[in-house]
Amino acid sequence: MMGALAADWPAIAALVRRAMNEILRVPGAAIPGVLAPTIFYCGLTAVFGNLTELRGFATDSYQSFVIPVSLLQGAGFTGAATGVNLARDIEQGWFDRLLASPVPRTVILAGMVLSAALRALLPATVLLLVAFAIGAHWPGLGGLALAVAGVMATATAAACWGCALALRFRTQSAAPLMQAGMFVLVLCTSSYAPLDLLTGWLHTAARINPVTQVLEMVRQGFVAGVTWDGTWPGLLTLAALVSVLGAFALRGMRRMAD
Amino acid sequence: MSAIEARDLRRRFGDGVEAVRGVELDVAEGEIYAFLGPNGAGKTTTVRMLTTLLRPTGGSARVAGHDVVAEPGRVRRAIGVALQEAALDPLMTGRELLHLQATLHRIPRREGRGRAEELLARVGLSDVADRRVGTYSGGMRRRLDLATALMHRPRVLFLDEPTTGLDPVSRKTIWDEVRRLNREGTTVFLTTQYLEEADQLADRVGIIARGRIVAEGTPQELKAQVGKPHLEIAIAGDGHERARAVLARYGRELPATDGRLLVELSDGASEVAPIVRALDESGIAVEALELVEPTLDDVFLAKTGEHLED
Amino acid sequence: MVEALLANARVVAALGARSIRQTFRRPQLAAPIVVFPSLLLAVQTGGAGRAVELPGFPEVAGFLDFMLAGAMIQSCLLAGNSGGIALALDLEQGFADRLFAAPVSRFAIVLGRLAGTAALGALSALYYVLIGLLFGVTFEEGLGGIALMVLWATLAAIAFGSLAAALALRTGTASVVQGMFPIIFVILFLSNAFFPAQLMLEPAATVAQYNPLSFVVDGIRDPVISAVSGEGAAKALLSIAGFAALGFCASALALRRRLRHG
Repeated sequence: MMGALAADWPAIAALVRRAMNEILRVPGAAIPGVLAPTIFYCGLTAVFGNLTELRGFATDSYQSFVIPVSLLQGAGFTGAATGVNLARDIEQGWFDRLLASPVPRTVILAGMVLSAALRALLPATVLLLVAFAIGAHWPGLGGLALAVAGVMATATAAACWGCALALRFRTQSAAPLMQAGMFVLVLCTSSYAPLDLLTGWLHTAARINPVTQVLEMVRQGFVAGVTWDGTWPGLLTLAALVSVLGAFALRGMRRMAD
Repeated sequence: MSAIEARDLRRRFGDGVEAVRGVELDVAEGEIYAFLGPNGAGKTTTVRMLTTLLRPTGGSARVAGHDVVAEPGRVRRAIGVALQEAALDPLMTGRELLHLQATLHRIPRREGRGRAEELLARVGLSDVADRRVGTYSGGMRRRLDLATALMHRPRVLFLDEPTTGLDPVSRKTIWDEVRRLNREGTTVFLTTQYLEEADQLADRVGIIARGRIVAEGTPQELKAQVGKPHLEIAIAGDGHERARAVLARYGRELPATDGRLLVELSDGASEVAPIVRALDESGIAVEALELVEPTLDDVFLAKTGEHLED
Repeated sequence: MVEALLANARVVAALGARSIRQTFRRPQLAAPIVVFPSLLLAVQTGGAGRAVELPGFPEVAGFLDFMLAGAMIQSCLLAGNSGGIALALDLEQGFADRLFAAPVSRFAIVLGRLAGTAALGALSALYYVLIGLLFGVTFEEGLGGIALMVLWATLAAIAFGSLAAALALRTGTASVVQGMFPIIFVILFLSNAFFPAQLMLEPAATVAQYNPLSFVVDGIRDPVISAVSGEGAAKALLSIAGFAALGFCASALALRRRLRHG
């Protein structure tokens, strides 16, 4: 298996390089996707920053509290964009070219989701730089590593979700569904306030939503400190999301000929 | 061994439409086979099944000796595909696209780069190889599409309407390249809605309508099925009746149109010169003369009751 | 002259109807106008709902009462942007040329698009009123207040639509108009759409206090949480008029430029 993977690595690398063209060769195309999470982050901080006055907030820095929300949103949108690009490639016939080649379906999918994981680092970097500039706490190397891992894994899961939808519907019109899915998953968590301060349906939803674990995993470095107890649920959630959504996407690939 | 073999090949879509209804094919190695039919006849659906992009819902097919359903990977390694849309990434350059294709087919880097240069020269795109595909004309995209399909020296090349929308010069370039490939041993399966393309290029033609092959053979065999060539003669002055008597010696008179005389030629074009001499010797002045041969459209009309071309 | 006005009115109505039909036949255009703000409303209400306990927060029955206006204005902005995207698509795909080649007033063509946007603004406002009623919002000014909210939302949608139309006419590119999405949220965040201006962090708090959009939001919010005042209504109307004046002037200039240069 390792031999087969090594043999396919050049194909994966070539597909990742091709996917990067979208941001490298279309002037301005990357700007909305890169800046949007930062704009939302600054907006949320400016608007809701005084929520930390409420009893129950473990930090007095809303900038630090809300940063994982924007990190994961950025990752989610990058992943969804991968799905939209795939839908466009399907509509325009380019994807047939890949399918008619001897490259295994898993390799084609790996190329797409890996490109999403790498692309997600761009908005994340911009966001972190701005966040630190406006006073967010330094998370330490461990916290930063967890944040990066969380971003890349979320982008991977989101790309699998987007690709699964693209393969199912085969049209760019499914884009809102791809974006909305990630949007809902990330926001229906302890995104705006700690779990105990959430009200009504959101409190229930956030408790059930596994992405809350991912959010808290990424948040811990910025507001308190990294612990294993605060980390493993998030890692487990990410592994499960990538596995399940990856399986859907792969199934979609295999059913392209149906 | 046939290069392409299909037995009762069928494809029914989810909405109940059966686009391909029992296609039988036997394309020999080294042959140029043209699938001729109007839009919606089932040409593209058949090609997509043969190139493993669509699963048949009935029947079977083998390409280059491999079953398209059971051994799709092996089929893909043996085929080159240039589909209806010249599906190229507009953000990549021509050279990058060829390099990518080489990578996808696991061609070693150096060999792939060399092959890319060779193909770019062959299709006349060396000068624009570093320009983005988005800036290419339609003809250039088709040529690049063809080059991409040839990267790994496929045994069987599938071309789905390769010259649709191209100007006559570009069309001729593609035809010349197809002939050259075939001389080099590549089996070519092309679909087209252009009679001339099938007539000019193909060793054999399969005429498809409503998902079924309605006629198959060499262009000459097909045309012979619907009749013989005839001569249309416009006579000057009042020599009509005398001309009729002369022509009766050479063939059966056909119903006249527009005052012209029509005579069927049993032995084809070789009878034209003797007829002209005979008319001349009889002092009959000929105003106009036209040799009319059956076309593949006549074949299509005979088999389906409709014209292929309006 | 009356005949010409009537003819143009018919054109505006026909194009307005087309623009509404387009939106409902392409749900992916309508979804951002209603679905996205609804999601945000639901999440923000649940996530920041305890904000009503903060000292200085206006007297409200619940956070939703406060947030409803923010969701409405968000929809108005997005409806306007959506109209601009649709106009840009018409320009890109050549349909606008068909209209320009017809013997109709150029402005009627743009007004037709805005008529559709106005209808969307009104419909989305009614939708949020319904949401409010379903989830227990008390409309202090009753039916009259609701009518005023819908009126402000409709006029605001037209004003924002005219700005987006100007961008569409100037650039002729849908992706440019689409790229305004983050800018819309910048403007929203720098207003009192989501939170009382005096409780925001600086410098956003100061910007929000003077942002004309905040006056529009207040105009929509007052009938829900307090009472309609002459001063508040005047500020809302002037702000909408200011946006509309800017939008219509820019649209007229862009249209003239386009027709001159192609």
